[in-house]
Parts: sequence; structure tokens; C-alpha cells
Amino acid sequence: MSRNSRSYKAERVIERLTRKVNRQMALSLAACVHCGMCTEACHYVLANPDDPTYAPAYKADRIRRLFKRHMDWTGRVIPWWVKAGSIYTDEELNELMDTVFGKCTNCRRCSINCPMGVDFAVVNRMARGLLVSVGIMPEGVAVVSKDQWEIGNQMGVLKEEYLDTLDWMSEELQQELKDPAAIIPIDKMDCEVVYSINPREVKYDPRTIADAAKIFHIAGENWTMPSEGWDMTNFGLFSGDDDLGGAVARRLYEKVEELRGKKLVISECGHGYRSTRCEGPNWAKYDVPFVMESSVITMLRYIREGRLKVDKSKNTIPVTFHDSCNNARSCGLFEEPRELLSLVVEDFREMYPNRSENYCCTGGGGAMSMSEYTPRRLKSAIVKAEQLKATGAKIVVTSCHNCVDGLTDLIRHYKLDMQVAQLVNLTANALVVEARVAVPVEVPAAVPAVEAALPLHGRRILVVDDEPDILTFFSTVLGDNGASVTQAPDGATCMDLARKEKPDLITLDLSMPGMDGGKIFEALRNDPELAGIPVCIITGKPELRRLIYDRPVPPPEGYLDKPVNDETLLLNVRKILKLV
Amino acid sequence: MSETLLFVEDTLQIWALQFMGTVYFLRLLWILHFKAGGDRQAPTGRGTSPRKGILYSWLNVAMPWAMESTRKRAFMYAQFIIFHLGVVSAIGLSFIIPYAAEWLHSLVLVRVLQVSIGLAFAVGVWRIIRRMTHPVMRKISSPDDYFSLILLTVWFFFAFLSVPNNHQDGEGVLMTFFLLTAFFLVYVPFSKISHYLYYPFTRFYLGRTLGHRGVFPLRRTS
Ligand code: SF4
Ligand code: SF4
Repeated sequence: MSRNSRSYKAERVIERLTRKVNRQMALSLAACVHCGMCTEACHYVLANPDDPTYAPAYKADRIRRLFKRHMDWTGRVIPWWVKAGSIYTDEELNELMDTVFGKCTNCRRCSINCPMGVDFAVVNRMARGLLVSVGIMPEGVAVVSKDQWEIGNQMGVLKEEYLDTLDWMSEELQQELKDPAAIIPIDKMDCEVVYSINPREVKYDPRTIADAAKIFHIAGENWTMPSEGWDMTNFGLFSGDDDLGGAVARRLYEKVEELRGKKLVISECGHGYRSTRCEGPNWAKYDVPFVMESSVITMLRYIREGRLKVDKSKNTIPVTFHDSCNNARSCGLFEEPRELLSLVVEDFREMYPNRSENYCCTGGGGAMSMSEYTPRRLKSAIVKAEQLKATGAKIVVTSCHNCVDGLTDLIRHYKLDMQVAQLVNLTANALVVEARVAVPVEVPAAVPAVEAALPLHGRRILVVDDEPDILTFFSTVLGDNGASVTQAPDGATCMDLARKEKPDLITLDLSMPGMDGGKIFEALRNDPELAGIPVCIITGKPELRRLIYDRPVPPPEGYLDKPVNDETLLLNVRKILKLV
Repeated sequence: MSETLLFVEDTLQIWALQFMGTVYFLRLLWILHFKAGGDRQAPTGRGTSPRKGILYSWLNVAMPWAMESTRKRAFMYAQFIIFHLGVVSAIGLSFIIPYAAEWLHSLVLVRVLQVSIGLAFAVGVWRIIRRMTHPVMRKISSPDDYFSLILLTVWFFFAFLSVPNNHQDGEGVLMTFFLLTAFFLVYVPFSKISHYLYYPFTRFYLGRTLGHRGVFPLRRTS
């Protein structure tokens, strides 16, 4: 393509750039003096000291050159003098994508270290939005955005699945508290609190929903969860798509208004909190008439008001706290989690640096959904791993679901002896539940001891994955819980064993050499003998979700993104086998 | 003193200043033509406000402990201060010589200016070397970055020599200093040196946003 003609997409990007840049962005683009002071603020740089392309100023210059070429005088007249330049081809757009999505988590750490006040993270997000507007983005970003547009939440959780999970958690809560009134109210009108969650909680971590419900119930809160518009996460923050950001935020605000809720409580999630509480009203151009609050603040208030009694001696393991970038660096939420921790754990150890200066978990900015950049992400995670190790803690607590995934992955990668938890888990664990007048609750009939202890007793599960570590891990977890497990490292073995053993469930990886998981899945579904076997897809490539759901066969019974921990695996397997 | 030197020290500087002022004014209009983003969110965080955030952000330059990037690298902060004090001294000198030359009869003032400008020159040389050898600095530098830095460093050199305002022994040094000053004034609005025009604005907006969101003033943590 000649230097005078631009591809259609490049043309659109340039055209939109001139409309998208606001005064703050223009200043950040114009004011950089290339002093390099922000360089060491970035975790990518610290992990890649020999690669200058990770330097924040270099990354910013990939965008700045366009601004200078098309919007600034000097760059228009003598572009080479100020390194201004345009973009002409789709390949160049893809290179820009590699920088803005693959080399920056929008953590804003460089912004607070720039003497000029250049806010690169905001500019980077804007550039992401430009690329997304012409369809150039990592596949995972496309899939998640599509789910959030079409299904209403970013993990494609269907309404029935969500309501089933709330039901299930209600039952567990009733049994735990032996109180039939301990339920999760849905769509209750005129409540003090409407509680919104991250779809990850439904998919991987329903325990956090139960823990929150326990807290609301014991605090005597008049609360509810919405049946729709319950997702407080917002992929628009990561993709830079303000339209998506606005639509998702509006959905939630309108639901709270419809329920005439007085306060929207946002469960622990950094980007969800920032999107819903801070950016959402701007994207949606919505003047929110009710109060919005992080569940961390809610829990702290309950304890201070005496509505919850806690006993910190119930949490004795040494704990440290990881500040999510979105909470701490963009929303000033960093003291409250520490105050809450000081009330519910015995041994708290600060991590350095912390609060607004903390390093990113490396899974931020949507990085967990962009599997093509996983090696880079994990390499840069050495910075966080060293921070964690230095604390000597055994549990790292974070108020963010994204950070939970990012930290879990890096803890496994760097073989740290640590677990990840959220404040809601520790608070629920520290609760002192006052004796209530016992009301009989229908508890399922007693089951034989061995079955009660081993929830998968008697179930046959076929685990299919080409990674020996994963095969061993899944088999151990499932085997330890009573299942009889067979392993298949490839598609052909999977089909053989499925025919021979007729398992009760197949867990299936997608990207495998030879016959890939998608084809195996279709083959299973098309085989009348095997079509009825439930399948749980477990993949490290969330972008492949579309390939599975678009196939002309019934969808899988379960879908999990790696990394998966033992608890999540077990929960989902039990759910699919209807053992909960 | 020759007519030419008189012209270069005075009239030429005024023309150059007027030109710079005009271009700066246009730059300001250009910046203001971009729509400012608003913020509908209710404040977050504790004990901060947009006003506190803006003040903190503006004063940040005088608080080396405020940012990790200056707190942990005292030399970087020191060289920044020295360089900018040198700029102030050299600009001051360009006004003192034509309008208040008698001040330079004070040996104290002469020494203060010489030390300030001399150190800034040394920092300028160090900055040139750093920009040319440090991999990241090389990667991010444009011809304008190199030229602006070399221009300032050479300007410091001639400013240093001009401090005694000794035109009796030849006007070459003073002439070069004032010609460079005039060129500098004309060139500045088109170069990175114009950053000081943007500085109050960038820091205002960052301070306003992060003050509203409970982040500024930053809590020092390491
Ligand atoms: S610290 Fe600021 S001015 Fe310096 S290179 Fe980084 S972004 Fe540019
Ligand atoms: S926003 Fe964070 S990840 Fe991106 S360049 Fe700045 S410090 Fe690095």
C-alpha cells in the first residue's frame, strides 16, 4: 500500500482520533518531555530491563506520533523533527494493538510518577477504544465484549445459571445458619441495599456470594439482588469502548432505580468498582440518584455500628493485602480494606510499596482475557511475586476478582506458598453468630459417611488435556473427592475412552495438538452413544469460547477459563453432576 | 558598546519575546479548543478534594518525596532542580544585562549566577550523554529532544561567559548569548521546551481528577 493511501480501518482510526481526544488527553500527549522518569514505575520495564519498548514513554509515543502528525502544528509541518507519523496499514494497526493491549495494563503507576502529570493510562485506554472501534483487538477482548453486549455480563452467564446459583447459595446459607429466613432475596422492592456482583462469582467463586449473603443477613440488612442487570463489571473500561461502558453501567443503574433501591453495594472488584462508581456516570451520561458503595465499606460499617460481631482469632494465618490498581490508584479505596483487615485477622503484614503506589497484579486491564500475551504477563509478574514473597504471608487478600485471578496464576507460576482470598471470605469466617431461636430447616436425609466425605464418590470422570501437569492436578482433585478418574492426553484417546467407559462427565481442554478440543466436542455431541455425556470445557484461551458456542450442536454443560483452582473445579463439577 | 550589540540585547529580544508571546497565546487557544472532560461521579476516598488535589499536584515539583520516581532517585531530582534554576538564572541574565547592568557590579550576584548557570551547563552535558547512551532515552528521543537540549546547554555556556558583562574585551560572547536567546525564544513554542506552558494544565487536570477520587495527596508508602 502506498504511503499516500490508507486502509479503510486506518482511515477510520485517524478520523476518530481527532474526535476522541479531549483536553486532558491532548495535554498528556503534548506535554511529555521524554525525561524517562516514569520508566522504572512500570512493572513491564522492571521485568524486561533490556527491552526499551516497554518504557511507558515509548509506548505513549506510539500514540503520540499520530496526535502530533494529525493534530499538532510542528508535527504537521516537520514530522520527522518531533517523530510524528501516521498509520496506513492494518499491519501497523496490529502493531499498535500489540502495544496498547499487550504491553500495558492501564495500571496508572507511570502517571503518578510523571513530573509533568502525563496520564498515559488514560491515553492508552483511548487508543484501545480507537482500535476496538475498527474491530482490531485481541480475540479474548472481542469475545468478552460480545458477551457483555449480548448476554449482559462478561462471562456469558445465563439468567437461569445465575438464579440457580443464588438458589443454591441460599440453601447452603439456610443450612449453615439453620435459619429458614436466611435467603438471598431477589428483586425485592424498596430495599436499603441492592447488591451487585462479578459474574466470576457465579462461575468460579459462588462462596463469595454466600459469604456476602451471610453478612447481610446477620447484619439484619434489608437487601436484595437483582435478577437482571446484576453485573457490576464493565469490559468497556478495558476495551476503551465508552459506548459499551455506558450501556453496561446504565443497565445496572436503571435496575437499581426500578427496584427503588437506596444504595448500590458493589462486591469486591477493582475494575467493577471503578467502572460503576467512578467512570460509569460519565460514560452513561447518567446522574445517579442513589448512593454507591464498595462492599468493603459496607462490611466495615456493619462492624463499627455493632451490627456484626467478629472474632479475629478465627483468622490466624499471616495475611498481606494487595491493593488493586483501580481501587487504590483510581478511586482512593485503600484505607478501608486495611481497617477491616485489622478487625478480622490476627496477623496482618503490609506489602511494600502499597496503597496508590502498589504494583499491578499484572492481570489488570483485561490481561487475563488476552491469552496471547500470557507469557509476557507472567514474566512481568516477577515484580509482584517478589513483593508477595517478601511479606512472608501465607494468604494474600485482595478486593478485586481480576487480581484474584492474576495473583492465583502468578503464585502458581512462581511456586509461591500462598493462597488468595477476599475480604468477604475472611470477614464471613470471623463472624460471631449469636445463638438464635432454632427453627427447623429441612436438611437432606443423612447420606452414608463415605459419600458425605467424598462428594464425587462413585462418579466416573474423563479428564482430557495435553498438559501433563493439568492432567495430574485435575485427576488428583477429582480423585481425592471420590471420583474415579481416567486421563486422555489427546482427542483420539478421549474418543476411545469415552466409548469404552461412558463416563459421567468429561472435562475437555480446547487447544491440543492434533484433533483440537472443538472438534472433539463436536464429535462427542454428534455420536448418539456419547451425546448425553456432560462436558465441561476448561481452557486457557477464553477467546475460543465463541468457537464452541457457535458450533451447530448443543452447548457444553460447563465452561471454565484456566487457571482453575481445586475449589472452583470441584464446585463446577458438582454443579454439572447436580450434586449440589 | 556597538550599536549592533545594543540592538541584539534589546530590540531583537523584545521582538523575539513578542513573537513567543503571540505563538504561546495561539498554543493556549489550541489547547482550550479541546473539550475538557467532566466528572459526574460523587467523590471517593477520604480527606481529599479537587482543590487539595490540584494544589498538591502543582506543588509536586517542590516535593521530591511525593513521587517514588524522585524519592528514590535523589540525583535525578537534584539535576532537575539545578537545570531549571540555571534556566531561570540565564533568562534573568538576559534581562539584567540590558536593563540593570549595574547589578552585576555585585560580585555576589555574579558568583551566584555563574555557579547556577555553570552547574546547569554541567547537568546539560550529563543529560546529552544520558540521552545518547541510555537505551530507553535513545529510543524515546526525537531530533527535537536532542536539539533543544544541545541548544540549552550551549546557551548555558555562553550565559556563563556573559555573566561579568564584559564587552570591553570583545563583544563576541555577549553577541552569541543574545543571538542564542532570541533564537531560543522564537524556537521554544515549537519545541518540547514549551512544556512549561502545558505544565500547569496537565497537573491541574491530574490533580483535580485524583483529588476528587481520594488519591491525591498521595500517601507515601515506601
Ligand atoms: S515521566 Fe512524564 S514527561 Fe517524563 S518521559 Fe515519562 S511521561 Fe514523559
Ligand atoms: S499504565 Fe502501568 S502498565 Fe501501562 S505503562 Fe504505565 S506503569 Fe506500565
